[in-house]
Amino acid sequence: MSDEQPTEQMPPDPPRPRLTRSSSDSIIGGVAGGLGRHLNVDPLAIRITFVILAFAGGLGILAYLAFLVFIPADDPAAPPARWSLARIVGGGLLTVAAIAILSPNWLWGPELMVLLAAGVIVYLLVRVMRDDGASQVSGIAARIAIGVVLLALSVGGFAAAAAGSALGGGIAIAGLIVACGVGLVGGAFRGGARWLIAPAIVLALPLAAVAAADLDVRGTWGDRTFRPASVAELGAGYEMGVGSMKVDLRDLELPPGRTELPLQLGIGEIQVLAPADMCVTADGNISIGAFDAGDGEQGGIDIDVADRWSVDPGVRYVHLDVDLGVGAVRVGDHFVDRGDGPPWARDSVVREVSPGTSRAACEGPA
Amino acid sequence: MRPRPGFDPASLVAGVIVIALGGLLLLDQAGAIELRFAYALPAVLAALGGIFLACGLAGPPRGE
Repeated sequence: MSDEQPTEQMPPDPPRPRLTRSSSDSIIGGVAGGLGRHLNVDPLAIRITFVILAFAGGLGILAYLAFLVFIPADDPAAPPARWSLARIVGGGLLTVAAIAILSPNWLWGPELMVLLAAGVIVYLLVRVMRDDGASQVSGIAARIAIGVVLLALSVGGFAAAAAGSALGGGIAIAGLIVACGVGLVGGAFRGGARWLIAPAIVLALPLAAVAAADLDVRGTWGDRTFRPASVAELGAGYEMGVGSMKVDLRDLELPPGRTELPLQLGIGEIQVLAPADMCVTADGNISIGAFDAGDGEQGGIDIDVADRWSVDPGVRYVHLDVDLGVGAVRVGDHFVDRGDGPPWARDSVVREVSPGTSRAACEGPA
Repeated sequence: MRPRPGFDPASLVAGVIVIALGGLLLLDQAGAIELRFAYALPAVLAALGGIFLACGLAGPPRGE
């Protein structure tokens, strides 16, 4: 009798299936199905990878075609692959043409990362929809997929609401929020409609931020320089949406007394350059940002710009009426070089107004 | 007093709060009032707090 205990024999690993195109799991030519079976990988993941690589210089299409040609079918009675080949060539060429027209710089660009992320999401979603939810992997995948989709929807909705509000659609968005509220009240008597809370918040938060910042980005975008030579050229002042507004008053002939100059900008920087002997005063509001006329910078939120010195009678002066959403205002009498500009800028050196105006210019003759 | 069947008090409270917040923003956008951060931030925080509180006190919706 032997003392040896019978040992449990591990069953040998099943042999890896031969690499063939699948006839049972086939959408075009059975390549992904066959690869998945051979590599023990979900064919859906392989299909999504092919689609993603199709956007990477058409690599996915070429790879699929190569597999289609060189991998035999698992069913000897299967029809020749030429019909599948025709389908994929036609579809692939149309896809590549459409993408090339819509986005000429799509080859290996950053879009590939976006596509990869989208591919993962699509894979998870399809797995969740196919699975009965019994497996733990399916549950985790479901949570991740739903979380990512909800996050994307929230970020997208938030950005769209912010952009819509700043571009003048605030009344419509506020109306939608009220409509969500009415829906919630009405739904309360029908078992509840709490799902309406989420869109209401996604719309309300950016609109509140835009409203508080008094953002209005309608109008000109970019860099503009204004050089008025007369009060008539000032007109009703200057207004821009987003960018850098430079107002050069060195050539301006002032009439006696006060000359109003309204300056309105949604997001960006206002620089006012005045000659050293010109009296410049200012008031207005900056929702978020800073104001600097050389005698101490005011910064923060809800900044009320106010004149800090009086103007003697008989002095010709410009009064700035500033309305800025987010950004900075600088008033000065000369430029300084701030340093090298960014590589893509046309100017190699960035010049900006050095804050500082003369109090003496606002004093009348003694 | 037990809530009526099919009635969700959290939705009602949240709806009233959302209508109030939306009305405030509507007035600002229409130019009737001028919201500033000093009042907008507390208003939004109060609205969010009220909604979460209502949902928390009411418990999960019926059927969950």
